[in-house]
Amino acid sequence: MVTTRLTVTTRLRQLLAPLLLSAILLLSTGCTAFAPPAPPSQFEQVQEETSGRKAESAVAEDATQGSEFNRFFPRSVAGYDGYQVVAAQEKKGFAEFKVNKDGANVAVLSINDTSSNPGAATKYSSSSREIQGFPALGIGNNGTGVLVGDRYQVKVQSRSDSFSADDRDAWLQKFDLQGLSKL
Amino acid sequence: MSKKPVYTLVDELPQRGLTVMSLKALDFAVPGAWDNLTGFVNTIKVVTGETDEALIQTIGERAITLYNDKSEGYQKALWLYQTVDGASSALGAGMLANKATENISFLGLINKLTPKPEKAQSFDLTVKLVVELVAFCQINGIPGDSIGDFLGAVKDYGGESLMRMAALVCYDGLVPLGPGFAQKGLETLKQSSASDLDSNQTFKGVKELIPGDRDKGKLAFITESFESVQDWMVGFVGDRGLTQDKVVNSLSKAVDLSKDKLEYLGAFLDVSTNYYEHTGIQTLTRRLIERAAAEV
Repeated sequence: MVTTRLTVTTRLRQLLAPLLLSAILLLSTGCTAFAPPAPPSQFEQVQEETSGRKAESAVAEDATQGSEFNRFFPRSVAGYDGYQVVAAQEKKGFAEFKVNKDGANVAVLSINDTSSNPGAATKYSSSSREIQGFPALGIGNNGTGVLVGDRYQVKVQSRSDSFSADDRDAWLQKFDLQGLSKL
Repeated sequence: MSKKPVYTLVDELPQRGLTVMSLKALDFAVPGAWDNLTGFVNTIKVVTGETDEALIQTIGERAITLYNDKSEGYQKALWLYQTVDGASSALGAGMLANKATENISFLGLINKLTPKPEKAQSFDLTVKLVVELVAFCQINGIPGDSIGDFLGAVKDYGGESLMRMAALVCYDGLVPLGPGFAQKGLETLKQSSASDLDSNQTFKGVKELIPGDRDKGKLAFITESFESVQDWMVGFVGDRGLTQDKVVNSLSKAVDLSKDKLEYLGAFLDVSTNYYEHTGIQTLTRRLIERAAAEV
C-alpha cells in the first residue's frame, strides 16, 4: 500500500514537474514577450551622444563664469512695484534670477554664454528688431531674448499669464546690456 | 550613481504608491504646493508653458546634455537624494523593491520594524537637512553675490522642494521626535562626537559629499547648518499650526495606521517611502529644465 502511494506521488511529481516548469517559463518569458516594446525615446540620440566617455563637456572651457553676469541684472524696475528679484542659479556660463510677486514666481531672468551651444546665438540672425541696439527675438510662447556682442544671450521668460511680452521688453531694457557687451 | 537617462528617471516617477500618498497627506501643511509633476516632456511643458514641439525637443536635449556632464553637479545631487533615502532604511533591498506599490501595510510590517532610537532619528533629521543644502548647491551653484542673496535663494522654496521640507519636518522631525524636534536635533549634535556620527548609517552613506575636514569637520558643518535653519523649521511648524496629531491624522486617512504603535511610524515611513528621492528628482529636473530653457 505504502509502496503504491509512493509510486503515485513520484509519478505525479514526474508528470507535474515539467508542467510546472513550462508554466514558469511561459510566465516569465510571457512578461517580456507580450509586453509591447517601449517606443524609442525622442531623446535617445542625444543621450547616446552626451553620455559616452568621449562626450564633450556641456559647457565650453572658456565660458564666462556665471558670477560675472550678476551685476548686469536689473534688481528692480521702475513702475514695477512689489516685485522681488531673487537669485536662483549660478553656474559656469549661466546665471538666473527669478522675479516673484506676492510670493509667486512670475518671470525668470537669465544670461548665458552661447559659446557652449552656438545654436542659441545663430537664431538671432532672423531678428528684425533691437533692444538697446542689440538684436532681439521672441522665443516660443513665453520668451524674449537679446544677443549681446554676438555671444551673451539675455532672456526674460514669463512664468505667469500676468507677465506679458511688453513686460518682458520692459525688463530687458533694464539689464545693463552695454556693460555686458564689454565683458 | 544612477545610470538611467534623466528622462527615464522622470518618466518612471510613480503616480501612486505610499511615497505619493504620504506626501499628499501633507497637502494640509503646504496647500497646493505639490502636484506630483512627472514625465520629462510633461515637465518641460509645465515649467516653461511652451507648446512648440521643436522648442521642447531643443530644451530637452540641452537639459540632457547638462545632466550627463558629471561636472555640472546634477548627478551628484541625485546620488545624494537617493542615498540619504536608502541609507536611512533599516530593512533589506527586497522590501524596498516594493516601495512603488501600495501593498505594504503598516500593521503587516510592524513585527519586522524596530523603533528608531531618538539619537539615530535626530542624526537622520540633521543629516537629511544638510544633504538638502549640499544638493541645492550642486544643482543651483551658489547664486548671487552675497550671503543674503544665497539665503534669499534658499528661502525661495516652492513646489516639490517645499513639500520635501514639509516631509522632513513632519516625518523625520515632528512625528518621531515630537514638538521639540529641532532642539533635540541640535542637542544631539552638540553632545555627539565625530565617532558617534560615523556610526550613523545615514551619515555614512553621504559623508563623502559633506563639506568639512574628516568626520570632526563634517560634524561641525552639520551642526552649523542645522543651527542656521533651526528657526526656519520652528517657524514652519508654528506658522502652520502643525502638531504630531494633525500629521498622523492626515496620514492615517491614506495609510492604515495603528495609533498605539506610533513609535514604529518613523521606521515604517523609512522603509516604505522614498520621498527625498522622489521630490529630489522633481527638483533637479525642474531646475535643469529652467536652465536649459534659458540657454537654448
